[in-house]
Amino acid sequence: MLVVRRRAGEGIIVAGDVEISIVEISRTRVKLGITAPRNVSIIRREAIAVALENQLAAAFLAEGALDTGVLHLLGGNGRKIPQRTSGSADM
Amino acid sequence: MMPAATADISGFVIRTPHLGEIQWQPGSELFLPAGLPGFENETHLLPVEVPVHRPLVFLQSLKRPDLCFVSLPVRTICPEYELLLSYEDRALLAMRAGEPPRIGENILCLALLLPSGSTVHVNLNAPIVVNLHNSRCIQCVVSESVKRYRLGDSGNWEPSC
Repeated sequence: MLVVRRRAGEGIIVAGDVEISIVEISRTRVKLGITAPRNVSIIRREAIAVALENQLAAAFLAEGALDTGVLHLLGGNGRKIPQRTSGSADM
Repeated sequence: MMPAATADISGFVIRTPHLGEIQWQPGSELFLPAGLPGFENETHLLPVEVPVHRPLVFLQSLKRPDLCFVSLPVRTICPEYELLLSYEDRALLAMRAGEPPRIGENILCLALLLPSGSTVHVNLNAPIVVNLHNSRCIQCVVSESVKRYRLGDSGNWEPSC
């Protein structure tokens, strides 16, 4: 791993067109500014695992969860939802 | 391409493979300025409650009729659950300055259900957080560690690794 010491206001360039700037340094955190082409994906490391989990979550209903007993355990009665459901968002 | 939702005099209608036909009113949808990790284009989700499945909350995509997440309020899983929001998360939620997040009062906190064999689990370190004042919504990744609960055979939630 390359380790570079930087101060606030300084930065580094990656692959010629990605600039990472040190915007602010506090006692426990560093604020970074990133300038990159639109096609460069930037994601926090912890969000990668969550993205994989979300793919799993999206597949839950597609795998027939409404027809299994799992939802019964969660407080519903396990019946398949009627095809004409009146959507409600009064939360 | 056909629009996912169509409008009539009573509001909008979306026809979905999982929940059937859902009628909804503009303004009842959640706005996710950053989408969800892995689903960055999903900026509008409709929360749907179905009486026979309470307390589940279905989060139906308004762009993709086939995409629907299933969630539960976190405190139905872990009653003592508390949420800490970063400055950035509070900004995305457009929370008022000095306003602490209070689950059930000014924010709603949901956990996505993840299939796991014959049961489900949740990661309470990545809750869906809704600002109840403006319907803005984010998935808050609290830390890199996973706080996982698994639904046991008895219907109780159990911490799991």
